[in-house]
Amino acid sequence: MPTKTIREEFVKGLWDENPIFRQLLGMCPTLAVTNAVINGFAMGLATSFVLIFSSVVVSSIKKLIPNQVRIASYIVIIATFVTMADRFLAAFFYPISKELGPYVPLIVVNCIILGRQEAFSSKNTVGRSLIDALGMSLGFVLALLILSSIREILGMGTFLGHQVMGSWFKPWIIMVLPPGAFITLGILLAIALQIERKTKSRR
Amino acid sequence: MSLSTRMVAVLTSVGLLSGGFLAGVGLLTKERIALNKQQEIEEKISAVVPGTYSIEKFYEEKDLTVYGGKDKEGKLIGLAIHASGMGFQDKITFMMGTNTSLTKIFSLAILEQTETPGLGAKVDDKKSFLRFWENKDCSSILTLRKPAASSPEELGTSEINTITGATITSEAILNTANSSLERVRQLIKEGKVSSEGQDAN
Amino acid sequence: MELAAIFISAMLINNFVFYYFLGICPFLGVSKKIDSAFSMGLAVTFVMTLTAVVSWAINYWILIPYGLDYLQIVSFILVIASLVQLVEMFIRKISPPLYQAMGIYLPLITTNCAIMGLAIIAARKEYGLAETVIFGVGAGLGFTLAIVLMAGIREQLELADVPEALKGPGIALIIAGIMALAFMGFSGMIK
Repeated sequence: MPTKTIREEFVKGLWDENPIFRQLLGMCPTLAVTNAVINGFAMGLATSFVLIFSSVVVSSIKKLIPNQVRIASYIVIIATFVTMADRFLAAFFYPISKELGPYVPLIVVNCIILGRQEAFSSKNTVGRSLIDALGMSLGFVLALLILSSIREILGMGTFLGHQVMGSWFKPWIIMVLPPGAFITLGILLAIALQIERKTKSRR
Repeated sequence: MSLSTRMVAVLTSVGLLSGGFLAGVGLLTKERIALNKQQEIEEKISAVVPGTYSIEKFYEEKDLTVYGGKDKEGKLIGLAIHASGMGFQDKITFMMGTNTSLTKIFSLAILEQTETPGLGAKVDDKKSFLRFWENKDCSSILTLRKPAASSPEELGTSEINTITGATITSEAILNTANSSLERVRQLIKEGKVSSEGQDAN
Repeated sequence: MELAAIFISAMLINNFVFYYFLGICPFLGVSKKIDSAFSMGLAVTFVMTLTAVVSWAINYWILIPYGLDYLQIVSFILVIASLVQLVEMFIRKISPPLYQAMGIYLPLITTNCAIMGLAIIAARKEYGLAETVIFGVGAGLGFTLAIVLMAGIREQLELADVPEALKGPGIALIIAGIMALAFMGFSGMIK
């Protein structure tokens, strides 16, 4: 795909190939940690860290790895960065690490990361892989922020812990519980599909 | 080099590099992570046994750990019971501070809970549920006030308030508290937990 | 009693799909027909039980005694991946009919977060061997229950008139939300 410009390579992660809204990848953390904006944001950053560094490493050593053992090598590389992220959070951001619980180690099985290595980093240059990983990360973080903002504001009446809704507002507790996660994401996916359909028919 | 030797070589070197790298990361963060966990426990102990200067771990078993809080002179001023029991959703873990003769609860603090936000999660509310646990008489079995009372004064000396809409959570904490008190009394009798020292009042 | 509590809790109260949000990909992907959903569920239950035993052994015989806990994530993921491969080869050799029924789903399981989640959650809860195994079986059966129920609903949904934009993952997630709501009714079963 060398026909794409650098800008296009970056922007595609935001909408056309957005990992959550368009590719439906990485649903587990998306649903699980978006009950508060701070959790969604921390998860987004941790995942971005792993994705960006794995992409750079994989794309720079891609020629050394024989095809048959590539998946195993990618998994080891990804797991290394996940362990670093997990340890770092536990050491310096203990409350957030406690809140995110098992979902930080579970970044290792997030389909976005292995998917990008397999589909992009193993075939492209280091520079392009970095741009691709940055775009995908931003798309992922934005999607998590949208979902967690909706859930926190409607579910607790707060944003980042600050009261934003007036006293008239009775929080919809269901939004911060599991059912709220599924239903909000379902509706967001439908909206994304609708926008895509509208823009396609206009073209 | 043949393909299979190359495969083995690449996998081994990737594995070794990653292992070595992680060993470094592990070494650098190990102490701090352990310290974080210890600090959290120590903070809760100081919160539930007022005046604690140093801490001694007396006894540990599954779902129950007993600490002693000591003052500056090293005199035992209270016990901190770290216990967990099944709540509405999953395990609830708390720290309960009592005097050395186990007749009075100073206060209660929650360490871990995953109860329903807005209902059962009120167990961690210092302004309502936890306030009703302060200075309770626990020489007899604690009981639950149902329906909930609105102020601490309305409750009996060994009565605990219910969280409206989360009776199961309230009962779960109460039962864990009662059974852990019972167990610690037995441990004192067996001489596994020290209760020597002066009560705060 | 303790073991029964862990079993019920893993299967219903803290269901892997509806409470931990684990295994969402196969849950949405392989839930169009009851038959295939059931086979997938069985394959997951089988691998989960094996993973429970193996991950426990690695954790308590190798990682903790030698202070290698920083290798936990790497070793768990590698062991799960090779375990699934081995099971696939084994089943293909031993019983072709069984392979037909559940073998084809095995490669899909390798990167299934429910399996890795099981290993990590059991390790964090510091379960013993028996508890870990019961936790694995319960979680697997809970996953099977969720995916079969979902497939049943989706088979009926084929006949329904769903708005164009909601078709596919949209409506599936909303149904999952309603099912999660129903599963919340199991909370508080264990005292």
